[in-house]
Amino acid sequence: MLEIINLHAEVEGQKILQGLNLKIDKGEVHSIMGPNGSGKSTLASILAGKEDYDITDGDIVYKGESILELSPDERAQEGIFLAFQYPIEIPGVSNGYFLREAYNCINEARGNKPLKPVQFGKLAKEKIKMLKMDDSFLQRSLNEGFSGGEKKRNEILQMAILEPLLSILDETDSGLDIDALQIVANGVNSLRSKETSFLVITHYQRLLDYIVPDFVHVLVEGRIVKSGNKDLALELESKGYSWLED
Amino acid sequence: MEKLDTRLIKNFEERNLSKHSLGWISDYRSTAINLVKEMGMPKLSDEDWRFTSLKDFSLKDFSPIFSSKSNFKKPSLPDYIDKIDGYFIYIHNGNLVSGTEYPFIVEPLEASFEYPEVKKVLLDDTLSKNKDFFYELGSAFIENGLYLKINKSQKIDKPIIIINSFDSELDNKFLNTRNIFFFGESSSAEIIEYSLSDSQNEYFLNKTTTVNIESNSNVEHLLVEAGNKNSYIFSNLKIIQSRDSNFTTNSILTGGLLIRNNVHPMLNGEGANSNILGLYLSTEEQLMDNYMFVEHLKANCESRQLYKGLLNDSSKGVFHGRILVHEEAQQTNAYQTNRNLLLSDDAQVDTKPQLEIYADDVKCSHGATIGQIDKEALLYLRARGISKDKAMLMLIKAFTDEVCEPIKNQTLLDAFHNIVNNWFEKSKLTN
Ligand SMILES: Nc1ncnc2c1ncn2[C@@H]1O[C@H](COP(=O)(O)OP(=O)(O)O)[C@@H](O)[C@H]1O
Ligand SMILES: [Mg+2]
Repeated sequence: MLEIINLHAEVEGQKILQGLNLKIDKGEVHSIMGPNGSGKSTLASILAGKEDYDITDGDIVYKGESILELSPDERAQEGIFLAFQYPIEIPGVSNGYFLREAYNCINEARGNKPLKPVQFGKLAKEKIKMLKMDDSFLQRSLNEGFSGGEKKRNEILQMAILEPLLSILDETDSGLDIDALQIVANGVNSLRSKETSFLVITHYQRLLDYIVPDFVHVLVEGRIVKSGNKDLALELESKGYSWLED
Repeated sequence: MEKLDTRLIKNFEERNLSKHSLGWISDYRSTAINLVKEMGMPKLSDEDWRFTSLKDFSLKDFSPIFSSKSNFKKPSLPDYIDKIDGYFIYIHNGNLVSGTEYPFIVEPLEASFEYPEVKKVLLDDTLSKNKDFFYELGSAFIENGLYLKINKSQKIDKPIIIINSFDSELDNKFLNTRNIFFFGESSSAEIIEYSLSDSQNEYFLNKTTTVNIESNSNVEHLLVEAGNKNSYIFSNLKIIQSRDSNFTTNSILTGGLLIRNNVHPMLNGEGANSNILGLYLSTEEQLMDNYMFVEHLKANCESRQLYKGLLNDSSKGVFHGRILVHEEAQQTNAYQTNRNLLLSDDAQVDTKPQLEIYADDVKCSHGATIGQIDKEALLYLRARGISKDKAMLMLIKAFTDEVCEPIKNQTLLDAFHNIVNNWFEKSKLTN
């Protein structure tokens, strides 16, 4: 599904990713943990196609082809989804309208017909229920005035509606109470299948009790310094990162 | 070479415009032409013209046109205007196209000079201390125009749609129009003014409209200035509101090489309410100068200004928002917001509030912003599969839509959205 090969990336001359290698197969859940500033969000943004970074070396291969030249929208249409660490507020664009546009753009790219507002409304309401959100949410402006938890839930709602093949979750669990965490985890788990893959970036082992990963990687200074199974997360939780840092 | 104002003054004298069969019109014109002479064409050094140079304009040769000889042909309007269920009034090159009956009064201005309310509106205007060159020029050349009157307690069931069409007869001409819209007590109406030009050549349009709203009336007004992009358009819209009247005006500016949009609401009766909305959509070399002058004369009135600019290419925008609260106007609420979205590095905008408050119990606020498309917002939408062009349009539309929020009438709202959407399509903003 995804292969990151010797990826080097910098921003304004500052080296952030320094030879990152990672392979995620269909149906797998990988988790990345690592100290603040190690480059986790940078990796997520680069995968989503954010243009602020210079890729100085390496490649990202998705479904057998390099995606470095693809725009963010093309990547999304190919099935890549990033749940942002800090979802932005967009006043004046309603959630409902935005979700339908996104759904139709992605489905059009997959060769499907767009859904009428009524049909889409049905689909959206189902997913909203799953995430225990309120229907009135569709009328509100995109993320505007949302609490931290609502924003994160909205990311997962979008994911549930758009049904991506590769989902990248950037600290979606940060700032969630245990109830919200379970709701979010349920949303993610409902999408797990033999065809879908996940890259779960997190700070806390807690999330991984609910979304159980196949592999755990530790990112330090732009490089993966250790990989293991879910037990590695427990070890990191008790020992911290410093023992891996040199 | 002689300046435009000098030539126009000469033309005024050659035509003997100060001699009219109605004595008060003769006086009215003479007073105005004297002011025109005295003031001269505005310069950058004039506080109210700081950002808009009339240098090129003042060297142009525009000669006045009064009566049109070209045949009226119904202009080809976009469907979303043409198909509106409304009362259409056509004005062609400044002349009212007659032959249609309306359930309200529609006459050429000249025919209405004998009405006492018209005389009063015109003469009251001369008392204003704030003199504007183009306003006075309009008074000096007063002749063409429209008188529209809604009688007391009349509720007009469908929007009144005034189509101002121009053709090549106007090339290199100066057209002066003076409109008076009179809304009797407890009346209600919606008006759309739509102007468009058939020719691509330059013309000079000087348009003055006085809207008189008697007490307890409700009026909504949508003004679309879609003339060609080589024209010089000077628009003066003055609104006099009586007690407990509600007025909403929304200007969408898309036309003109240079457009000066003066809006001057006078809240002249307690409990009057005014929404002053506008959208200036500029591309290429266009210059759109908005001069707002909101005057609170009586207590307990509220005014809300919301003007937004969307500027592309090397176009330029100006927003000058003046609020004057007179001593008597206690418990005034006056709000002003100006927001600008620059779509290119070469676009430019100047914004300036000017508050003069002489009453002590006043709530007054103003705010202005100048920004660009938010890159993070754009990425967010694109990361959900929405193409760059579509995402840009979503963000731009979110920006412009706010301007129509205070409009209540659905037909006017639909027209607003259609006009703005159509402009987006034509302007190819996302290249
Ligand atoms: N757009 C950017 N401009 C400048 N510096 C950046 C940018 N993005 C990331 N960085 C820097 O790169 C480093 C890694 O950041 P980030 O990927 O956000 O780390 P993490 O998500 O692991 O906490 C930090 O030092 C951060 O300041
Ligand atoms: Mg981060």
